[in-house]
Amino acid sequence: MPSAVHIENVVKRYGDALAVDHVSLSVPPGVIYGFLGPNGAGKTSTIRMLMRILLPDEGQIRILGDDLQQVNLDRIGYLPEERGLYKKMRLLDLLTFFGEVRGMPRREARNRGGAWLERLSLADRAFRPVEELSKGMQQKVQFVATIMHEPELLILDEPFSGLDPVNANVLKDIILEYHRRGHTVIFSTHQMDQVEKLCDHICLINRGRVLLEGTLASVKQRYGKNGVNLRFEGDGTYLHTLPEVASFQDNGNEVFLRLKDGADPARVLDAARARVSVTRYELAEPSVYDIFIEQVSGDGQ
Amino acid sequence: MKAMYVIRREYTENVRRKSFIVTTILVPLFMAALIVLPVTFALLQPEHQNRVAVVDQTGKIGPEFVAALTDSLKKGGRKYLCTVVSATGENFEAAKQAQIDGLRSRDTDIVVAIPQDVMTGGKAAYITREQRNYNILDRFEDVLNNAVLKERLATEGIDYERVKTLTSRVKLEMNQMNKEGGLEQRNFLAEYGVVFVFVMILYSALISWGMTIAKSIVEEKGSRIIEVLLSTLSARDLMIGKLVGVGLAGLTQLAIWGVVGFLLAGSALPMLVAQMGTVHVSPLVFVYFPVFFVLGFLLFASLFMVVGAVSSTEQDAQQMQAIVTLPMIIPLMSLMLFIQSPNSGLAVAMSLIPVFTPLLMLARIILLTPPMWQIALGIGLMLVAIFFSVTVAARIFRVGILMYGKRPSLREMMHWYRMAG
Repeated sequence: MPSAVHIENVVKRYGDALAVDHVSLSVPPGVIYGFLGPNGAGKTSTIRMLMRILLPDEGQIRILGDDLQQVNLDRIGYLPEERGLYKKMRLLDLLTFFGEVRGMPRREARNRGGAWLERLSLADRAFRPVEELSKGMQQKVQFVATIMHEPELLILDEPFSGLDPVNANVLKDIILEYHRRGHTVIFSTHQMDQVEKLCDHICLINRGRVLLEGTLASVKQRYGKNGVNLRFEGDGTYLHTLPEVASFQDNGNEVFLRLKDGADPARVLDAARARVSVTRYELAEPSVYDIFIEQVSGDGQ
Repeated sequence: MKAMYVIRREYTENVRRKSFIVTTILVPLFMAALIVLPVTFALLQPEHQNRVAVVDQTGKIGPEFVAALTDSLKKGGRKYLCTVVSATGENFEAAKQAQIDGLRSRDTDIVVAIPQDVMTGGKAAYITREQRNYNILDRFEDVLNNAVLKERLATEGIDYERVKTLTSRVKLEMNQMNKEGGLEQRNFLAEYGVVFVFVMILYSALISWGMTIAKSIVEEKGSRIIEVLLSTLSARDLMIGKLVGVGLAGLTQLAIWGVVGFLLAGSALPMLVAQMGTVHVSPLVFVYFPVFFVLGFLLFASLFMVVGAVSSTEQDAQQMQAIVTLPMIIPLMSLMLFIQSPNSGLAVAMSLIPVFTPLLMLARIILLTPPMWQIALGIGLMLVAIFFSVTVAARIFRVGILMYGKRPSLREMMHWYRMAG
């Protein structure tokens, strides 16, 4: 099976600014692919090129095995970063319309739209205008409008932004369910906990360039397992001067210490206990969050 | 053809809109009110008796005036209750003042003072408390003039009745030759009214539906729906869908107005005829009206689409709309001139300029029957103009709808146009 998305040496410039700088990446079919990066990293520009909204200045893009210009975009579901729906339209009419324009027969679009509204407990609002819904509800309806034609590939730009934890969970469940049916999901985010929970693959980009790409496991592997999470009371600033510590990350209630190759974690614990009172000690692989912070700050802003 | 879904969406959403329902109902009501109310008011105007004191210095005109003033009220009874105060010579001013005092104490309603010199060109006076009823004033002037004239003729020894017969006025009846060479009686004044009503309806329909299109594009841009739509259908489908869907909604409204207007005219016709005489409106107007709406809509709506596509906010769009509406205001302003000579060279030439054709050709068709070749040429030229405006608009639209931020300059738009080629 060909890659769901294959990008090779893609460049996008806005005037003199280089938004996407020779990006190459490959999304295997059937994965959940996290597209990470700080604000302005080039995530949205890349996604908009996938949707033919922007034209790349250089490079090649293939989607679902076809050249970008040939692929039938109805095979893709796309949720733009900035949200919006026809405010005056009735919910069911809206879903029917979005199903229809993506090639579903009218009756089927209506039935499936109705079923989705049922699932979101919005069946009683089916004939009410969209504008009467809360913002979070509207966001879920828009998500349904994106997914209801059962596309093979789902591209979501910041799907969780602005959602409360309950609604984010509803969305996550729908995404997982959809993924289990064998489809591919790409989503951009800077919410690392979602990435940790959902993604098989990640790609971290910063300032238009790919810093890391691969399965979540392999990325973490590359980082090695020799990290220590430490929770303690007292002044721990001296910890980063320990000879075993390669880098030090203050996460507020905890610190994450990355150790040098071959260093013994037990010695770190001893050294820590000598000066502060340790309440928690854990050998850990770095979280995506840790990797993100380390990579992006190391990359220079 | 995915344009079909856009057509259906645009049509149903526009027809369902509250403002659509409200204007569809209110405009005919307003029109009906415009026609019916003045007539009704005239009929319902309260009438009452007026006490008239005639202060007469001449001794002859006063009784003559009162004798001729025999108008009666609709409900019966005399409209004017007159008393003649004969005040020859020095007493006149004092008597006049006494009656004016009576006016103040509400013993009388109108004072007419006729001095001696009315016989030789002097003025008489008409004095009231607050009533500004021009009908009474006109009537009094007529009656007084007749009385004075009669008296002057009598002094010269000429028979008044004979003079009246000899000087009776000739009425000029308006007629127009129709195509077959036959004559039709026409009421030009009423026809001006009809032209104005039809042209105004067409003008406002074109403007409001054009603005609807611009607004909906700005909305789709602002909410990024446009990105989702363009991932599944082409800019061309979207544009066709909007033009056809919104255009059909406009036609629906006009059709409703047409039917309502027809029924209304049928029921109110006797009253109208009584009020302003027969009005000839060729049934062909009801064919040409939708034709010119459709043509005008395609021409202007494609320009409004450009406005929507290059604007990021509604304020942006409103500013730019002025440029598009300008060519529609020119025919409106020249309409009065146009009505007077609908067949002049200037009128013919202007009605053949595509941006003016819908309003001006329609006006000419109502006023007279222009030669078929002129109508055909006008429509032909419009079709050419529509072809160009839609082609250019489609290109700018394609690029513009995905551009955000500051409004593009004309040069940037030219660049987009070439880019999209």
